[in-house]
Amino acid sequence: MDQNRQGARASYVALAVFVAGWILLPSAVRRLNREAFVEFQAPALHLVGKSRDLATFWEKKSRSSEELVAAGRDLARINAALEIKLKGMEDVRRENTRLREVTRYNVPADYLSVVARVATRDSSSWWQRIVIRKGRNDGIRPGAPVVFGDTVVGRVTAVHLTTSEVDLVTSPGFRCTAYLEGDDQNRIVLINGVAANSLGTAKARVSVIPYDYLLPAGTPARVTTTGMGGVFPSGLTLGYLDGGAYATQVGNFKESLLVPSRDLYNLQEVSVLVPIIQTPGEALMQGDQFQ
Amino acid sequence: MRERADTKVLPSTPVEKLRLYAVFGLFSLGFLYVVGGLAYRQLIQANDLKEQSDNQSRRIVLRPPARGRIYDRNGFVLVDNRARWSVKADLAALQKEFRSEYLRLLAAERARQAVQVDTERVMELARVNVLQGWLNKVWFVIDENQRKTVRKPAPGKSSPLAPPGERKVNIEDLRKHLRERRALPFTLVADLAFPVANMPAGPDEGVKAVARFIEQFPVEGPIRLESDIIRTYPYGGMAAHVLGYVKDSEELPPNVEDIAEVRSESMQKLRQTGKTGAAGVELSFDHVLKGLSGWELWTKTSSGYNQTRLKYSEPVQGSNIPLSLDLRIQRKTEQALAEIKDSQGVPLPAAAVMLDVQTGEILALASQPTFDPNRLAGRITIADYDEVEKSGAWLNRATQGLYPPGSTFKIVTAIAGMRKKVVDWDDILECGAFYRVGDRDFPEHEPVGYGDVDLDKMLAISCNVWNYQVGLRAGPDALAAEARRFGLDTPLLETASSSDGPDAAYTELPYAASRGLVVPDREYKLRIKAGPWHDGDTANTSIGQGYLLTSPLHMASFAASLARGETRTVPTIIHDPARDGRHRGSTPIGLNKAQLDAIRGGMVRCVEEGTGRSAHIQGLPIAAKTGTSEYFKKGEKAHLAWMIGYAPADRPVVAFCVLVEGQLDTSTWGGKTAGPVVKQMLETWAGTGEKQSTEPAR
Repeated sequence: MDQNRQGARASYVALAVFVAGWILLPSAVRRLNREAFVEFQAPALHLVGKSRDLATFWEKKSRSSEELVAAGRDLARINAALEIKLKGMEDVRRENTRLREVTRYNVPADYLSVVARVATRDSSSWWQRIVIRKGRNDGIRPGAPVVFGDTVVGRVTAVHLTTSEVDLVTSPGFRCTAYLEGDDQNRIVLINGVAANSLGTAKARVSVIPYDYLLPAGTPARVTTTGMGGVFPSGLTLGYLDGGAYATQVGNFKESLLVPSRDLYNLQEVSVLVPIIQTPGEALMQGDQFQ
Repeated sequence: MRERADTKVLPSTPVEKLRLYAVFGLFSLGFLYVVGGLAYRQLIQANDLKEQSDNQSRRIVLRPPARGRIYDRNGFVLVDNRARWSVKADLAALQKEFRSEYLRLLAAERARQAVQVDTERVMELARVNVLQGWLNKVWFVIDENQRKTVRKPAPGKSSPLAPPGERKVNIEDLRKHLRERRALPFTLVADLAFPVANMPAGPDEGVKAVARFIEQFPVEGPIRLESDIIRTYPYGGMAAHVLGYVKDSEELPPNVEDIAEVRSESMQKLRQTGKTGAAGVELSFDHVLKGLSGWELWTKTSSGYNQTRLKYSEPVQGSNIPLSLDLRIQRKTEQALAEIKDSQGVPLPAAAVMLDVQTGEILALASQPTFDPNRLAGRITIADYDEVEKSGAWLNRATQGLYPPGSTFKIVTAIAGMRKKVVDWDDILECGAFYRVGDRDFPEHEPVGYGDVDLDKMLAISCNVWNYQVGLRAGPDALAAEARRFGLDTPLLETASSSDGPDAAYTELPYAASRGLVVPDREYKLRIKAGPWHDGDTANTSIGQGYLLTSPLHMASFAASLARGETRTVPTIIHDPARDGRHRGSTPIGLNKAQLDAIRGGMVRCVEEGTGRSAHIQGLPIAAKTGTSEYFKKGEKAHLAWMIGYAPADRPVVAFCVLVEGQLDTSTWGGKTAGPVVKQMLETWAGTGEKQSTEPAR
């Protein structure tokens, strides 16, 4: 009995000493520990991602030839439709180039695009986050926007050597400005991720919607980036307004929810748009160049 | 054990029994008192106490509504509401940083001096240092120049948004905040889009600053972003005297008192500061623009924070108002007025009005100098107030300014003469270099005189002697009666036009001239104790001098009436497409066609070849009359330049009046000074002028 008590006491003491030691450790050492743990964990994350890729590969390889023929036929039809669309876009592109030449407008290459595979997804109620298989070694920096096609996926929050963590649009740590389709005055609204209810679909909040904003009839209103904040390029799709805007407690503004335009948890691959010039916000996050 | 055996129970004595009853009775009374009290509280006071309890744990939060918009007659927004984004510091969340900075400063102070340290001062300094650190970070993110200089920071580099001096935490503001609103967040930047008061940012610069903060500043932390609604005037000082401005108001809107919960005196009410009109249309139509307040009924925690919202009612935005102003004409009019400058290059005080002849709707109403209502939309600073006060911009010279009308009054003299039949349109009068009245020579402005002058020529060259003669023949009473018939001493804009019905009586523009308008006669001169009326007074009145005082809006209305051949025009600032053009109290002018044609012909000749040539526009016949009256400014003689009229002369659509207060010399003349303004106004109205942008000024 006494021996058991002594053993229990010793384990409590050891826990207390460990906790106290952790608290008293210099923050640099703690950060180093955390980084070391992440780097230790990184190969496992890579392995998970690659295993999934392999499983997908074998799943597709096991399809019957009839299924593949049918899929190929569907794909050919889609390709044909896209070809026609592309030809239409070509005219627009030429006109765009011509106008740029006339106005001598040089579009600076603001971003460097880095394509990355998704390793894991954290779809807990609080933090909607994915881990991608590219990191500091690939030139990724914190704060960089993450997109898939013309859709905003989220934003890089932490960068490690070979992996990076991305806060999705629906994460509470995500914030950006947007324009609403149908607002001819282009007034900016605020997009904030919100913690989802358990088992609920994650959404983001759209706030500071002007009181006189009216939803376009018929289709859900598209929400796009403004390009004003220096982080996200303009015109990217953030999602669509959910159901309609309703008045908030603030009274003078309306508020609504944003439904992401893609299923963010089924993405296999994303692009990280790394700004060529460091933004002030990025410098602020690093804290080393702040005057 | 032995002691226990020794203890005996004694029988009670009658005395002890009495004592027992007394104690029992006392307890019974106490019990009855408690039961009675409980019953009183539970049965009689129950409702009151429940209400009291509810009130103590509940709170009403009042939400001010957004004010209605103000449009011009073509639907352009003249006054709007915009989101104001402010950056605030959560002082409670910064306590740890305050403490750490305090200890650092305290150690440094103690190392520096052994004497007693003022800990209060050190704590204040610590707070300022911490807040300044966060403010620097905010500026670091919102200032676009940092993007270019981020790799090589240039200390003290100026930004397009604000000079470095504006980026300091104001210690006085912080002290006041800690004294009065310690529990609320401290405002670091009141308006991100316009971070420096009174210094508007460039196009899109303000929106970019807001977006940069939202997207680049850390979401977590003690710095918050808050948003509310603020009144905005997209065209700055344009039509400021018509539009007015708003001021803070904490009064309970009437609809809120109708809510049963709010009527309770004991319930705590938190009201957000709303806005109320302080001048112009914002004041006169405040009841239309302000809307209905919303309210929320909350339960609160023991710490005083809101807990659960029980009921609520959304605020209802105020109604929109369409003004009769035409943005293009208004803007051009103000630009034209701003081009008239004194020898120092400062624009001269001036006013201009353009009316729709048929309806009386005001198409342009400008007064110079003006002010920017955006600077007054928040809290008016003493510096702002003093600046507007010093420039004289509070006065709406078009509606409140009182001036002698000068030669523009000669039309009234001519009409009085013809109606009194002392002169006719084709009578020729001999007009020399002066006209003797009593023992004084009243001069002509042409040193050698004009010789033979008829009505047509008089209006073209603005002959004085013709008017002296006709004025004296008609007499002062006829002149005064005629001026009153045209409403030159009747307050305008004080009631709605007749098309709004007899019950719709309200002031369209506050403080329009109502007192001080003077149409002089014998009784007036006696009333002001200036002695008996002389012929000299009649001569002076006949050329619009002497005691005559009227406003530019009155003269524009007179021109509109003349254009229609009537006596009254009721001007209005509200646009109503259904307005029928009938004017309350208006009667036919009382002249025959030949007489009317002669007046119109003379006014056309005034622009074609007379004193109003500077307003001439090829292909647009204009009927106008110039005027140069004398007034005393700071004790010295100066000129007022007038021009009134209408266009097109053959089918009148618009009437106008321009007035310019000259500087302290006689270089200002009616046609020469006011004519170019009239020309630009009419060119814009006719669409022949320089194309005007309707983009808001930034």
